[in-house]
Amino acid sequence: MDFLNKQSCRELWRELARTIERPLRAGALSILVAAGIAGPCAAQSDAQTAEYRVKAAFLYKFGGYVEWPQGVFAKPDSPIAIGVIGAEALAEELARIVAGRTINGRPVTVRKLRPGEAVASLHVLFVGRSDSSRLADILAAAKGQPLLTVTETDEALELGSMINFVVVDDKVRFDVAPPPAESGNLKISARLLGVARKVISKPS
Amino acid sequence: MKLWAPRSLRQKLLGMVLVTTLVALIVALAAMIGYDLRAYHRILVSDMTTQAELLGRTSAPALAFDDAKVAKENLSLLRFRPLVSSAAIYNARGALYATYARENDRHAFPKLPEPDGARVDDGDLVLFKRIVNDGEILGTVYLRADYELFARVFDYLGIAAVVLIAAMLVALLMSSWMQNIVTRPILAIAQVAREVVGQRDYSRRAVKMSADEVGTLVDSFNDMLTEIDRRNRELEASNAKLAQEAEERGRAEREILRLNAELENRVRERTAQLETANRELESFSYSVSHDLRAPLRAIDGFGQALVDDFPEHLPGDAKRYLSRIRASTQHMAQLIEDLLKLARVSRGPVERRTVDLGQVAQQVVSELQQREPGRAVEVSVWDGMRAEADPHLLRVALENLIGNAWKFTARSVKPRIEIGALKDRGRTTFFVRDNGAGFEMAYADKLFGAFQRLHSATEYAGTGIGLATVQRIVHRHGGRIWAEGEVGKGAVFFFTLVIAGEEAAAAEQVEEKAHG
Repeated sequence: MDFLNKQSCRELWRELARTIERPLRAGALSILVAAGIAGPCAAQSDAQTAEYRVKAAFLYKFGGYVEWPQGVFAKPDSPIAIGVIGAEALAEELARIVAGRTINGRPVTVRKLRPGEAVASLHVLFVGRSDSSRLADILAAAKGQPLLTVTETDEALELGSMINFVVVDDKVRFDVAPPPAESGNLKISARLLGVARKVISKPS
Repeated sequence: MKLWAPRSLRQKLLGMVLVTTLVALIVALAAMIGYDLRAYHRILVSDMTTQAELLGRTSAPALAFDDAKVAKENLSLLRFRPLVSSAAIYNARGALYATYARENDRHAFPKLPEPDGARVDDGDLVLFKRIVNDGEILGTVYLRADYELFARVFDYLGIAAVVLIAAMLVALLMSSWMQNIVTRPILAIAQVAREVVGQRDYSRRAVKMSADEVGTLVDSFNDMLTEIDRRNRELEASNAKLAQEAEERGRAEREILRLNAELENRVRERTAQLETANRELESFSYSVSHDLRAPLRAIDGFGQALVDDFPEHLPGDAKRYLSRIRASTQHMAQLIEDLLKLARVSRGPVERRTVDLGQVAQQVVSELQQREPGRAVEVSVWDGMRAEADPHLLRVALENLIGNAWKFTARSVKPRIEIGALKDRGRTTFFVRDNGAGFEMAYADKLFGAFQRLHSATEYAGTGIGLATVQRIVHRHGGRIWAEGEVGKGAVFFFTLVIAGEEAAAAEQVEEKAHG
């Protein structure tokens, strides 16, 4: 899949350089340089990396448009915990993004999980592309809990995911299904729904 | 140059009200317009800032999740705000992300967003507003809205003009009506004053319409009129009285003039009559005297012939009688001679000439000396006595006066005669002084009458006509004569020769000479 052309690749690189302003940046740059800046986007793996970067940024930003029920956080400055399953690159990218940042005054922590690991005490859970049966298990475990589930698998919404990334016209977009969130007492902002590609009110 | 000078109180009041109204309106309108325009600007900026904020908030997710379509949809909602002509959203990197333009709007979008703030640009309000979410700048909203301040200014000016005209018209109507309250009493006074002056009718009175200062003025004005009326009446009465008096005086004067004229006429008539009578009398006495001389000469002549031709035939007594007859006839001849002289000095004109009075006196004295060489009389005549007189008449007068002095000093031990002049304030008084027999002052005024004698003829010879002749001569010169004397000590005869007017003129000449 020709996911990213050269143009979007450069844009992504620029965005990266702009948004990640911290000591890590030097490291990131050196990594990128090491990866070969002459043709960074030519390889498929590079395109994959760029996609994850966007998704990581989106994942981080979702937190600002979701309202968790009372009692989930012990203190006003208790961290928002984001769990990532089956997406190493994204987890690393996300960790870089959230470092030093807050969502509504709360710091953000990132945890890499293995399938089957308990999802309790998490607030956001990203499940990387995987087969449906495993995904269904994970989503079933999260069902009814105040946990925002984000996936990148087709039909994931039918399995109970709340937000699912899709790629449309070389751009990362997402669909939202509010009903599972409501069952977990989560409130997804209408503003987020406004930028969603599709909003699925009832499971089809 | 004055454009308009109010000529009446009404116009002045009207002008004051209109100018005041105009100024108040302009100030009020200017303040209102200024306030409104300021408010307009503030409200517009605040409104647009809110709009931008709203847009930013709405578009924050679109930027966050890189959804230009949503951003554009958000922007397109601005079509419900026709005020906004164009709008745009820039992303965090400052690149144009989404745009909106009202129909037919041709404004170009700025290439880069400017700092937050609003400014007026080319008749539009241009506003930039950062989109911030959780302390992170997501992008910038750009708004361009119609800035109708200038249109509003023109609208307001139009409204202000209409309001001004309407208000001025109302003010004009109101003040034209209300000024009556102030002007009517004053104009009433003015009207009465005009009538009073024009018709001189001081019985008019102004009507008091108010109890304010104008009312006081009316009272004072009326009091003044009353006073003027009263004085006017008094003046008229006094004038009438004066006129009557003047008329009476005029009549009296006319009567006096008439009487005077009558009197003068009568005087002229009488004078003429008297002159005629005098002339007749004089010519009579002259002819009588003249005619009397012939028989007298015959008596004297034949008396002489008797004595000369028949000396031996005449007894001593007869001779003595004849001598007495002759003495009497000679005396009578002398009398006639003197009377003729008196008559002569009374007639004929007075021919004034400058005469050296001293010289004439010296001549008279030397004649007397020749006639009686045996007498030793000390005579002193002052020098430089000049008179404006008829030389012949003056000589006759001096002959009489000096002759008298000569005669009455005959019995004096050391006879002395002095002829001199006294000058007092330009008037010259001549005198002839002697230390002869003198006279009693009680008879001083009788001296100058004809045939008046204070001494017996046996003592001093004389006819009693001399001084009368002198007086006549002095009077004919316009002068005056008087005498002072004491019995046994002598007499002084004073006389002047110049009439009053000539005296003054002579005095002036003397003064000029003295100073010159």
